[in-house]
Amino acid sequence: MTTTATSPSTAATRVRPAGSGVLTQVEVLTGRALRRLRDPRLVALSLLQPLIMLALFSQVFRSIANSPGFPSGANYIDYLLPAILVTTGSQSAVWSGAGLATDLRNGALARFRTLPISMMSLLVARSLFDLLRNAIQLVALVLAALLFGYAPAGGVLGTALALLIGLSVGAGLSWVFIALASWVRNVELMQMLGFMVIFPLMFASSAFVPIAGLPPWMRVIATINPLSYAVDAARGWALADPALGATVSALLISAVLLVGAALVASRGVRRP
Amino acid sequence: MSGLMIAAVDVRKTFGDVTALDGVSVAVPAGTVHGLLGHNGAGKTTLVNVLTTLFVPTAGSATVAGLDVVRDAAQVRRRIGVTGQFASVDEDLTGTQNLVLLGRLLGASRREASQRAAELLELFGLAEAADRPAQGYSGGMRRRLDLASGLVGRPDVVFLDEPTTGLDPESRLGMWDVVRTLVAGGTTVLLTTQYLDEADRLADTITVLSQGQVVAAGTAAELKSRVGRRTVSATLAAVNIGPALDTLRRAGLDPLQSGRTLTAPVESSRALAVVVRALDDAGIEADELGLHEPTLDDVYLTLTGARP
Repeated sequence: MTTTATSPSTAATRVRPAGSGVLTQVEVLTGRALRRLRDPRLVALSLLQPLIMLALFSQVFRSIANSPGFPSGANYIDYLLPAILVTTGSQSAVWSGAGLATDLRNGALARFRTLPISMMSLLVARSLFDLLRNAIQLVALVLAALLFGYAPAGGVLGTALALLIGLSVGAGLSWVFIALASWVRNVELMQMLGFMVIFPLMFASSAFVPIAGLPPWMRVIATINPLSYAVDAARGWALADPALGATVSALLISAVLLVGAALVASRGVRRP
Repeated sequence: MSGLMIAAVDVRKTFGDVTALDGVSVAVPAGTVHGLLGHNGAGKTTLVNVLTTLFVPTAGSATVAGLDVVRDAAQVRRRIGVTGQFASVDEDLTGTQNLVLLGRLLGASRREASQRAAELLELFGLAEAADRPAQGYSGGMRRRLDLASGLVGRPDVVFLDEPTTGLDPESRLGMWDVVRTLVAGGTTVLLTTQYLDEADRLADTITVLSQGQVVAAGTAAELKSRVGRRTVSATLAAVNIGPALDTLRRAGLDPLQSGRTLTAPVESSRALAVVVRALDDAGIEADELGLHEPTLDDVYLTLTGARP
């Protein structure tokens, strides 16, 4: 270590006359998160996971196309993909929570807390990163589905809308898990909690089979399950049978979740 | 509060039933080094966390650079630099990227931030490792990068929480040099340490904490005079403890008992001979006799009358 260089405190210019703006903070912190996408292993696995889901579900549940309540004339893959777009979006929320919990245990964040920056910038950066990763996953899903014969009546526009609905559900749920993680801060707990919440939401819904094909008690759950709205909305657009009510409900629920969770998270993350 | 860069008044901090700080006051004049001395759990880190706006005190108040750490927390954060006990560097980023990130978060332009990063990496002898991910840094390098991270914003007050714990002797000396350089530039430094010699070498004033309370405060010289420059210890068979206490008291010493060991502060190394002679005259055989330079343990022993 040399100590002959200029003393750190006597330099003429101060680095921080006024501190950084929130936009700069979000930009810098999102950049930090995006560095993770440079790890090809992470990218490959992020893409592989939803593709495996797609391959499994499209083959295992094929016979559902013959079950009661299934839209006549629709391909199971056309029926399934919009749902997978929504469920993949919700699953990625689990990673938002686990990722933030990891971040909050990291010493680097302990330092951020002593900086004159808004901790919300950090959460927004995390959520932007997750949103981008999610978008990449969903686009990859659509491309892969084409190989399985995906050719919906809604065409490119319908599929794009379905994808956007998946993204918005993902964003809303991401914030719910960000809020949880900002209080819980335990990675294993967040993962367990995540799958405990997401799996029932996914399966007790209209995602993989028509609600009419479910046992009566589960039918009740599936009907009030907010994920069903999103699935119905995405499926409606993809199959050229728009469900406007479901679309509005899905977007509204996502927005309410996002805002509510952001408020909770902003309080949680400030705790040391 | 003119001239005081850090002023804590009667700070209390409780976590449920646990009282981490029990009415601690500390005053540090600008441009000086203050050492917070204490064992693990004494409350050093809690006090640092209060002063760096991470914890809100349960009672009492504190100012840093004249700003209240609760009411003006945001402004306090503009004036301080913090180095934690655990190196808080981002493992995935290189040394340069770590420092540039912080510089930009503090409001520097890309160019300014790069300049500052290069300056600090040079100062801390990390210039060669600047473009390597911090993952591959040794413990000492990490600690230096961590310290550099706390200095990016040219803070007026720097908090160093056990900056040399776990460092090899050479890195330790290097860290001391950095602290001296900082202070020469007008920075105020508060450092916590478990090592009396470190506080002795670096700190202008010292506060000794034990179980959340200040047990002593003053300059190193003042503390030492209270502790006694040296101590003599004698370990004896249990039956001899009583007679030995009497014997040593008659010899003009003030022994304290801890198990089978008696410890007494002494003025000079000649006192060892006095003790040996006194015990010998009384026909008491010691299992072990020793002369010790004052340690943190002695500070506790003398100031609190019991081992922590």
